Amino acid sequence: MLEKLERPDEVRRWKGRIPVSHRYTPGVAGDVFFTALRDRGVLLGSRCDSCDYTYVPARLFCERCFAELSADAEVGPGGRLVSFTISYTGLEGEPLEQPVAIGLVRPDGADAAIVHRIVETGDEPLEIGQRMEVVVKPDEERTGSIHDIDGFRPTG
Amino acid sequence: MEPRVAVVGIGHAGFAPITAGVSYKELMFEAAQRAYFDAGVDPRTGVDSFVCCSEDFLEGTSIFDEYVPDQLGAVQRPVQTVAGDGLFGFVTALMLIRSGIASVVAVEAHSKVSDVRSLGAIEAFALDPVLNRPLGISTLNVAGLEMNAFLERTGLSEEHCAMVASKNRTNALDNPRAAYPAHLSVEDVDDSTPVSWPLRDLEVARRADGCVVMVLASEERARQLTEAPVWILGAGWASSSPSLESRLWGHAESTTRAAEMAYRLADVGDPAEEIDLAEVDDVYAFRELEHLEALGIATGPELASLLEAGDLDIGGEMSVNASGGSIGQGNLFEANGLVRVLECVEQLRGEAGERQVDEAYVAVAQSARQVPSTSSAVVILANDAGAGG
Ligand SMILES: [Zn+2]
Repeated sequence: MLEKLERPDEVRRWKGRIPVSHRYTPGVAGDVFFTALRDRGVLLGSRCDSCDYTYVPARLFCERCFAELSADAEVGPGGRLVSFTISYTGLEGEPLEQPVAIGLVRPDGADAAIVHRIVETGDEPLEIGQRMEVVVKPDEERTGSIHDIDGFRPTG
Repeated sequence: MEPRVAVVGIGHAGFAPITAGVSYKELMFEAAQRAYFDAGVDPRTGVDSFVCCSEDFLEGTSIFDEYVPDQLGAVQRPVQTVAGDGLFGFVTALMLIRSGIASVVAVEAHSKVSDVRSLGAIEAFALDPVLNRPLGISTLNVAGLEMNAFLERTGLSEEHCAMVASKNRTNALDNPRAAYPAHLSVEDVDDSTPVSWPLRDLEVARRADGCVVMVLASEERARQLTEAPVWILGAGWASSSPSLESRLWGHAESTTRAAEMAYRLADVGDPAEEIDLAEVDDVYAFRELEHLEALGIATGPELASLLEAGDLDIGGEMSVNASGGSIGQGNLFEANGLVRVLECVEQLRGEAGERQVDEAYVAVAQSARQVPSTSSAVVILANDAGAGG
């Protein structure tokens, strides 16, 4: 009775699901960021003078010195490519029909970088450090989410 | 670091892509039986406290502490679960003993990932729900971004990362417990499909089931229990910036900080000189190089020459992942940290068989939880000769 199974067809397994749904609060700074993105199409960050660091998206507090911050530093839309990757697989490892480029762009005036898709890659291969631009959706299509940003595209 | 604490017993089970028919509790029971036998203790009377490491979503349950006491002999005893990598449980056990609360502690971590049917979704759940998750990016993409930034900064190449994967799969050929041993050339790795370029398929550790249990004891108890204690000379742990937006890309910052703490406690001044072997996180091949740099063992350009000269191989200047690492042994998720300690203990005891590193006295074990997390822990271990008697 304590011997292990030797044949795979004797293995018994029970399938279960975890029904999880949740509500996420972007918070005070998150609301200011998404409202500015929706209403004005701009990226708002938070500047910490004592750390000489500008966060984007905006934050209520500085993770470096613990100071309380305000959300009033407008950054971008131009910026530089900090890193990028070309994704060939989906979440569960399935091959994608079309590879997707994902980039990290540091908007001008910010020290932090934003993660998003690269929607236009241009004719030249992408290079870390190159000039990029944050592409915001047209006014009527914005709803106040990270999808209000279409993605990034190379400039110049 | 006084008073001293030692590893006095080790046990493991599984280390296979699939452990069909055996439940995670039975895997733990098997590893625990071996660890208690190795330490010569009865868990019902000779272990003062128990620490288990697990992540609820990977277990498919919630509130996992109620799922662990029985298979470890810990029912009606002091037990706690740590939701993190096994090395965090290991340092928790160390602190229980150093604080005088316990003299003998068992620590456990496991993976039954073959039971997980939606691993990608669980991992994606670790990304910020408002800023990142809606974009549908995966942890492989986060690893790809990190790899590209690391290579750009250090000047290391994709081929250097392929060399790591080839070395670790080959090392695993001499490790009987390894799940993924293979004669794999650098070209094989370099030719494999990109999953999130520059990261390639054969540079990502494959999943495996398995369990590791260890028994730690105070110096006094260790001397009574074993003739081959492995001493914990120092330990450190740290986080980096948690958010993708504000972290320092291309640097293993939390490992740098964890190592500084461990070296200070262990009184290690020159790690490359004083440490004989390293077992470090290599769930993605480039991370082995990133972590060696963060551990202060070599800079980027030095790593290139060490790799090219075979100096990170078994028998080289510094054997790195002689066990095969996660790429050779399999990715055991929250158990990865204890897997690294397990190899260090076997090496320092001289029990590593075909892959035994000569003159192994002092070892470093480093663990980083899966991306996107930035939690890292580092421990310095030594046998009697390495610890100065
Ligand atoms: Zn600050």
